[in-house]
Amino acid sequence: MATLHAPQFLQPLNEQNASPLFRRRANTRERDHAQVGGGGADGPNFGSSRFSDTQANHDMQLGPDGSLAICTRCHEGFDVTEKIVNSGGDVWHPRCFVCAQCFQPFPEGVFYEFEGRKYCEHDFQVLYAPCCNKCGEFVIGRVIKAMNTSWHPSCFHCQLCDAPLADIGFVKNMGRALCRECNAKEKASGSGKYVCHKCHAIIDEGHIKLKGDVYHPYHFSCASCGTELTPDAREKNGELLCLRCHDKAGVPICGACRRPIEGRVINALGKTWHPEHFVCAKCEKPFHGSRHYERRGLAYCENHYHQLFGDLCFVCNNVIPGDVCRALNKCWCFNHFSCSACDRQLSEKTKFFVMDVKPVCKHCFEKFPSELQKRLKKASDAGLG
Amino acid sequence: MSAKAKKLVEECAAEKHKTLDLVDRSISNIIDLPGFLNLQHVTSITLAHNKLSSLPASIANLVNLEVLNLFNNQLEELPTSLSSMPCLKQVLDLTYNNLNEKSLPGNFCQLETLRALYMADNDFEYLPTEIGQLQNLQILVLRDNELVALPKEIGDLIRLRELHIQGNRLTVLPPEFANLDLMGTKNVFKYEGNPWAPPIMEQLKKGLANMFDYIKSDTYKYLYGRRIAADAPPPPRSHDKSKKASRKGMKAKS
Ligand SMILES: [Zn+2]
Ligand SMILES: [Zn+2]
Ligand SMILES: [Zn+2]
Ligand SMILES: [Zn+2]
Ligand SMILES: [Zn+2]
Ligand SMILES: [Zn+2]
Ligand SMILES: [Zn+2]
Ligand SMILES: [Zn+2]
Repeated sequence: MATLHAPQFLQPLNEQNASPLFRRRANTRERDHAQVGGGGADGPNFGSSRFSDTQANHDMQLGPDGSLAICTRCHEGFDVTEKIVNSGGDVWHPRCFVCAQCFQPFPEGVFYEFEGRKYCEHDFQVLYAPCCNKCGEFVIGRVIKAMNTSWHPSCFHCQLCDAPLADIGFVKNMGRALCRECNAKEKASGSGKYVCHKCHAIIDEGHIKLKGDVYHPYHFSCASCGTELTPDAREKNGELLCLRCHDKAGVPICGACRRPIEGRVINALGKTWHPEHFVCAKCEKPFHGSRHYERRGLAYCENHYHQLFGDLCFVCNNVIPGDVCRALNKCWCFNHFSCSACDRQLSEKTKFFVMDVKPVCKHCFEKFPSELQKRLKKASDAGLG
Repeated sequence: MSAKAKKLVEECAAEKHKTLDLVDRSISNIIDLPGFLNLQHVTSITLAHNKLSSLPASIANLVNLEVLNLFNNQLEELPTSLSSMPCLKQVLDLTYNNLNEKSLPGNFCQLETLRALYMADNDFEYLPTEIGQLQNLQILVLRDNELVALPKEIGDLIRLRELHIQGNRLTVLPPEFANLDLMGTKNVFKYEGNPWAPPIMEQLKKGLANMFDYIKSDTYKYLYGRRIAADAPPPPRSHDKSKKASRKGMKAKS
């Protein structure tokens, strides 16, 4: 355990006069351990300590225990006027309180202690402190031991992508420290394989590409049908589709069921539809090619358009403008109300006969073969019209 | 044929009238009307109460024809070209003629725009199974024909709201008939004057809703299937049609 000491007669260090190096050390007084995956590393810890008490001068000075004070180094006593350096319970002549290597006083009173000997900062570092493999500076405080050497935590980076590795761990790859991602890429490229952009594992079976990156297919599902993707999935407009949905993507999509239309396509209401899905908004029966009537973006069968929005003329089949003639469950434009046999116009006041629930003018009825007239009259009498 | 008919055709051609009224002019053949087949501007021709037994295929020349009224003639057949007339549609009145299933051209059911088909007082025993293609059909009138069966495809006529099958020789209805919606207050279903099988008759007496429920049931489907498999002979003709005015031309021919 190396300890940082400063003798009491030197001016105490504070934020203002402390050297940057000292401040850095003081700030790393809470020791931390670096645990780095793969090549676990733990550097030696260094302690720093505060200066001990200042001592008054005496004739023949006494030690802290009251006995005669003796210099720890030269084992001589102290003159009354002589200064005594007191550190950690031991006393020294100032000339003896020096670096064990260079025999010089400690600059700024800062020393390092290792295996009972005290060193100045310079010699301590030369002798014992590790050097960062990257920047070459001494590493004080947290040391990353990796790749058989030492690093400042801030200097230990992935050799490929330069990502800091101190906290995420690293993998040895052909003498290089790499992040897991780069390691996987390297391994994959070595084996001709891709690395998944999502899970960073090697893709063994087949990959898919999305926006230039490569993935395991199973991280995605089809944007259209939701099934888990397989390597035959395709990218379209930034979305991933299974092969089936992709192949259908050029195909029109039904406005009702949102599925692709493979057979006959109905174009209506500005959309495309499966014939069986293009239905009346009211009864939901498919039009199957029959006329539909549009209103406010919806399509209706004739019956329901008629029922909901107006009457359709029995003759011209258009919504009736203006006055409506109503008879026999049917409606007519005013000028389309006519005899069903001769097509001659009827007025609402004209008397007409009924045949098969449609109007027949008197003239036509009288022209009917008499046997038909008889049957119609009989049916009419029986209430069967 | 009245001389007036020829004059009316000439007038119509000269003055470009859109409608031509040839009601009751004793016309027995369109060929007797020179210029008739050149009336391409006409949209409506009424030939009711004449003696036509057939129509020439060249009737399809009348490309703008929308309404063709053939009520009360002696028609025995219709030309194939009828289905190719682009504007002819919606309401076809063939009441009181001598038509049967053999008279209809094979492509008749391609008149998909047909809304109403009036074929009362004809001689149909069967309907073509293609009838189901008439997806716009709302009114189907087969009163007083000779129908002995209805095809199951009649159930495909989902827009049908008027069905007249009274005065035929029907005993059963296909279960698919239950698809039809004929019970609403605005709908018409006329079925009287048929020799209905007893279970159907019984349900009809209880009401239309009962009958529709019944023919939907598995019991009925089973009975119907057995009946079809047994292929029993149809009931005999019950009414004498020899007095029909439309028969006159046939008698004259024979
Ligand atoms: Zn030193
Ligand atoms: Zn470094
Ligand atoms: Zn992955
Ligand atoms: Zn899909
Ligand atoms: Zn659909
Ligand atoms: Zn509807
Ligand atoms: Zn109208
Ligand atoms: Zn009339």
